Amino acid sequence: MNRLSLFRKINNKFKSLVAKIVMLVLYRAIKVLAREDSRIMNEFLTWKDGLTVALEASPDGTAIYMQKYGDKLKRIKACSNVDIRITFRSVDAAFLVLTGQMGVARAYAEHRFMLNGDICQTMSLVRCIDIAESYLFPRLLTKRILRKVEKKEFSTLRVYRKIFVGV
Amino acid sequence: MYIPGYYEFVNPGKILSGKYALENISTEFKLFGSSRVMILSDKVLEKLGQVQILSDALISGGVKVVEIYTDIPADSSIEVVNKIAELYRKANADSIVALGGGSVIDTAKGLRMLISQGGTDILKFVGAEVLPYAKHVPFAAVPTTSGTGSEATAVAVIKDNGRKVKMEFISQFLLPDLAVIDERFTTSMPAKVTAMTGLDALTHAIESYSCLQKNPVSQCYARSAIELIKDNLITCIESPNDRKARLAMANGSLLAGSAFSNSMVGIVHAIGHSLGGVCSLPHGLAMAILLPHCMRFNLDKCRDDYTEILKMFVTPEEFVAVPASQRAEKCIEVVTAFAHSAAEKAGLSLKLGDNKINRDDFNEVAQRAINDGALIVNPKAAGLEDVLAILNAAY
Ligand SMILES: [Fe+2]
Repeated sequence: MNRLSLFRKINNKFKSLVAKIVMLVLYRAIKVLAREDSRIMNEFLTWKDGLTVALEASPDGTAIYMQKYGDKLKRIKACSNVDIRITFRSVDAAFLVLTGQMGVARAYAEHRFMLNGDICQTMSLVRCIDIAESYLFPRLLTKRILRKVEKKEFSTLRVYRKIFVGV
Repeated sequence: MYIPGYYEFVNPGKILSGKYALENISTEFKLFGSSRVMILSDKVLEKLGQVQILSDALISGGVKVVEIYTDIPADSSIEVVNKIAELYRKANADSIVALGGGSVIDTAKGLRMLISQGGTDILKFVGAEVLPYAKHVPFAAVPTTSGTGSEATAVAVIKDNGRKVKMEFISQFLLPDLAVIDERFTTSMPAKVTAMTGLDALTHAIESYSCLQKNPVSQCYARSAIELIKDNLITCIESPNDRKARLAMANGSLLAGSAFSNSMVGIVHAIGHSLGGVCSLPHGLAMAILLPHCMRFNLDKCRDDYTEILKMFVTPEEFVAVPASQRAEKCIEVVTAFAHSAAEKAGLSLKLGDNKINRDDFNEVAQRAINDGALIVNPKAAGLEDVLAILNAAY
């Protein structure tokens, strides 16, 4: 009774882990691109200072919280009072989106996440995520999941280098 | 037929449509166990005697009308909702009937949410898709315009005068229990309003039919809506007292409302909301002006859907006479001709330039449009330049 099967337990753990890693990469990508990609830079400038965003991937608490701080994006501790909260309805939904099997617009249309917060600023965030995905995922994949694949202003390699090596 | 990987659909409430629909509200309310009704409406309808017709019908059916509030402005606000809630509680009412257009019905949705959840300020529930189910407050919506479809949607737009923004409330618990269409209320709209609201309903149906969130059920509703509107809108403008055509239009509007409440709308509404906000262009007129241009913009992503829509607009013989590769284009042509014909008969121009819109405002309009939530389910991504091109084409 009320016991998770072993398979499902492992499955959930695995998806949570992958979700966490991709969310970190996505966060770092937006942080880097906010200074390097002209379009994300422009979007970022329109965000109000101190804007807080929560990305919650699963009910077990796998989540990432970030804040616009001056001209930078930084991670913050978990908090309940954020400006934009995107909560996936299951870790499976988060996995679909974060592994590039589904774009954000499609996920919205399929009620894969719940949104709390100002819709204008969320639209800007969604555009940033779409552009970031154009860098992070191979074109073969983005062509399938994005309504429009944005042109890259520089190579994917450079973004990954900046994310992981920092230079 | 299109089937998405996953979809959800919330049915509208019980529909009471046609002769003596009003007289049946009281028995429905009694089934819910309520007997003390508060009526919400506006000053114009009160003056026309329509509020009296409604109240007579309710009282004859054996429920008490304990409060009537008609001071609802065209753009209802948070303050108005909070104030009505106070009156509702003072009168010890236990159910709500809203008679009017989108603003009255949205106000009533706000009131119902506040009463149901408890508290004195509706602002607490902004962005509350996650609102839990609370106390049930029986609620009937009786539309007097055929356009917004608000009687069948899970959305309410209410202005926050303090911050000068329109707040959007989305929750399945906003849906009225009863959507009541009574033919006595359908003939009062003047030609211009009939055309504008009717084309708004058509836009709901077409955007709903072709946007990312479409699904087999919403498309079913949208299809019926398009057919009803196509067959009856022009008749309603030309012979305003044709009750059969009016009733059909009201049904078209309701079905289109339920369709878009489940599938959302797209770029026409994104730009239309902004034209309303920046230049105060009436919503229905904005829809009528923008629809053909936005369909052209979306064309390459909507070929199949537009081909289906063409089928709804023309006879089978006319349909097969158009080469398969040209049917989507033909659909846009037919919809454009339909909108123009309705507008012309009502004395409206479908050019932004003829409606006191200034090109200088286009930048601000476009900026707001790309941040409008409706764009997220538009089949094609649209940027600032795309919106500007559409605005210029519509000038
Ligand atoms: Fe509309």
